[in-house]
Amino acid sequence: MKNSMKSIKIIVLFVMGISLSSCEKDFLSPDLESLVNAEIYYNNEEELLKGVINMYDGIQGVNSTSSNDNHSLQVEFYLTEMRSDNTRTKSSEGEAAQFENYTVQATNGIVEDYYRSFYNVVFRANVVLANIDVASDANRANIEAEAKFVRAYAYFNLVRLYGDIPLVNQVLDITDPGYQAISYTRVDTAEIYELIVSDLVTAVDGLDNSYITRASKSAAQALLAKVYLTLGTNYVEAQSLCEDIMLAGFALEPNFKDVFFNELNDEIIFAIGYEKDGLDSQNFSAEWLNAVGRTSGVNYTTQDVRDALDALGGNRTLYSYRVDTDQPSQFQVVKYIPDGDETLDIEETSIDPTKAGNDWIVLRYSDVLLMHVEAIMAGGNDTSVPAALSSFQEVRNRAGLTDVVTTITKEELLDERRVELAFENHRLFDLIRFGEAQSILSQFSAATGGSFNTSDLLLPIPQREINLSRGVMSQNPGY
Amino acid sequence: MKKQFKNSFYAILSIIAVFAFNSCEDFEKFEPLDANSIADETPPLASFTATQGAGPDEEWKNYTFGNGSTSATSYSWDFGNGSTSTDVDSATTYPGEGTFVVTLVAKDNLGVSSTFSETIEVIEPDEPLVPDPVLINFDFDKLPKSSGSDCSCAGWINKDIGEQGESSSGNGGTDNVVKFDNNEPDHVYQEFAVTPNADYTIAIVTSFKSPTGGPFPSMLELRVLTGSGYAAGYTPTYYTDTADFPQEDWGYTTISQVEDATNNLLVEVQDNPSDDGYFTKTYTFNAGANDSVALFIRGIGGDSIGDFLYTGGDEEIRADSVIITAVN
Repeated sequence: MKNSMKSIKIIVLFVMGISLSSCEKDFLSPDLESLVNAEIYYNNEEELLKGVINMYDGIQGVNSTSSNDNHSLQVEFYLTEMRSDNTRTKSSEGEAAQFENYTVQATNGIVEDYYRSFYNVVFRANVVLANIDVASDANRANIEAEAKFVRAYAYFNLVRLYGDIPLVNQVLDITDPGYQAISYTRVDTAEIYELIVSDLVTAVDGLDNSYITRASKSAAQALLAKVYLTLGTNYVEAQSLCEDIMLAGFALEPNFKDVFFNELNDEIIFAIGYEKDGLDSQNFSAEWLNAVGRTSGVNYTTQDVRDALDALGGNRTLYSYRVDTDQPSQFQVVKYIPDGDETLDIEETSIDPTKAGNDWIVLRYSDVLLMHVEAIMAGGNDTSVPAALSSFQEVRNRAGLTDVVTTITKEELLDERRVELAFENHRLFDLIRFGEAQSILSQFSAATGGSFNTSDLLLPIPQREINLSRGVMSQNPGY
Repeated sequence: MKKQFKNSFYAILSIIAVFAFNSCEDFEKFEPLDANSIADETPPLASFTATQGAGPDEEWKNYTFGNGSTSATSYSWDFGNGSTSTDVDSATTYPGEGTFVVTLVAKDNLGVSSTFSETIEVIEPDEPLVPDPVLINFDFDKLPKSSGSDCSCAGWINKDIGEQGESSSGNGGTDNVVKFDNNEPDHVYQEFAVTPNADYTIAIVTSFKSPTGGPFPSMLELRVLTGSGYAAGYTPTYYTDTADFPQEDWGYTTISQVEDATNNLLVEVQDNPSDDGYFTKTYTFNAGANDSVALFIRGIGGDSIGDFLYTGGDEEIRADSVIITAVN
């Protein structure tokens, strides 16, 4: 009997031993070891550099027609060009036509797609910054600068499109107590711009000009100059940033067509690269055509922009818009066409136009030359400072407009930007920055039967975000 | 029995009906309409932004107003100049300069309203004339220095890039000119504010001692240095009293920084005219992307020796004044 007591005690101890050891954390939440995962991945610089490339993958967006994918840059033209007086849909139908009619709904899927995509880019940049410690001493500053450039680029687009937005400058975990508050608190644009400026100042210091399809010093300087011009402050700094870029070896392509069809040329300061026929291809080029792929017939040119190009474009007009041969009353954008054009001597960039390889140009040298003029004008009505005249003349000379310019008015500068940079997603932001959006777009909208008013200059906060915030997030006026 | 029941039923029904109709009136009479109604959870909030027109003619009188109101359905504008509007966005033209109160009343369909007013100062923007820069002690008078004694070089000393000039007399006055000694690294240096991209004229009155015929003829070098070339993190302070001017740690702290071509807006060298009278020379420069620049003048022509690796040549040079004016 005593013996059996003893053996029971032994058994109890044995069972206790097993049960205690089984309580170790691993059994309940084992680390995922067979697949890559973010929590344990970034252990060395090589792995961190994959995170750096991952940021550009986020900007590139997914080439698909599924509305659940992040299409990122590939849908940016809807929110910018199609909301300006430059482009519209061919048939005025569906969600896409809300932009040209200025009847955008908070439930618009493209508005939500872009918002979600670019916050995802911010997240990818924050992941790199959160793991910056694994970088070598030699490269840490450079990698930090690159991530901050990407974050500033994403925020600059978001803040100009949506106004007051959440400020996320760290990797948020859904278990963080502050998760809800940070994700859904709208922060004043001034505070967003503070982060953008400080990120870009870091980027200018830490980068060099090794890349075109990745961040560079000149790209950071150009973006910072544009931020200063947008804020209407620091015109002198904007001017000297432009002058630094003007000494960095960039040059206008002699032939305007080559800017778009001779990729990575001397004029490109920052572009998002696409590769034809694969996962890194893009679909927007095909969307601008007629009956190619599932979504097409968008970003067609307006009569208004064609009049401007005919009057002021010089030799740029030929490579800016063309007749849609399937529907000769309609006119398409030439920049970025994927399937070639024999008359214009443009070769196709991919076998399947919906898997196009045309890069998207974010910043190019003529934009910088015209920003240089804008910085010297410094919010005034005109300028005849020789440095401004020379930059302006350089852009016009390439277009074959060689008459000597002796003074530049604000209106002439805005027009020149329109015909030089048409369909490159600049027009809406230019109108707003020059303070001309209300007068020009209300006239345009009255003529085309749209219902523009100034509250349309900001997009709605996507309804989905407002719902997820449980009513905490407020909507922009007019929605 | 059955009929009686039916009758009384009708009677009751009609009484109830009468009560029912009456009772509605009673409720309205004794209870305010909104006591049990739901409050306006999203009352309107009026707001707008005003933008002045821009252009070569009278566009400055035109104002456009962007409506930033929330939760409103109808609007009523009063521009303070007698005209009104009920459009969402609106615009008006003011008769001329003056102060106007613009009022926007935003209303929703429940009749709740919100009012927002802003005072607009209509001012014709004049093409601002570029002001002349302010140079302290531009006449090189013998004035107090921060280190105590008086000197014609007061306000013009930067010991990091040269030795101070000396007080001297000339051109019909006393203690009224600054002297760049022979064989010494004498200089003057002062920072001043400019308007970016404006043109300026410099007029400087100088005199050279007659050439000695030696191997190192003196020359006077004048540079306008960019503010963008100032030492990192440096912000200029513009002193007005010569006694307050520090004598070192200015924006330029080394001669190599001075001689960096990208930091030079103007470099001019005066040779000896072989006439020891006082002559005026004028130069022009454009301020470029700078809101601050520095004027640096030194005697050169001697050996590249000493702390600063430059010295004046064999003859003394004097400067009576330097005047910088904006070209408008």
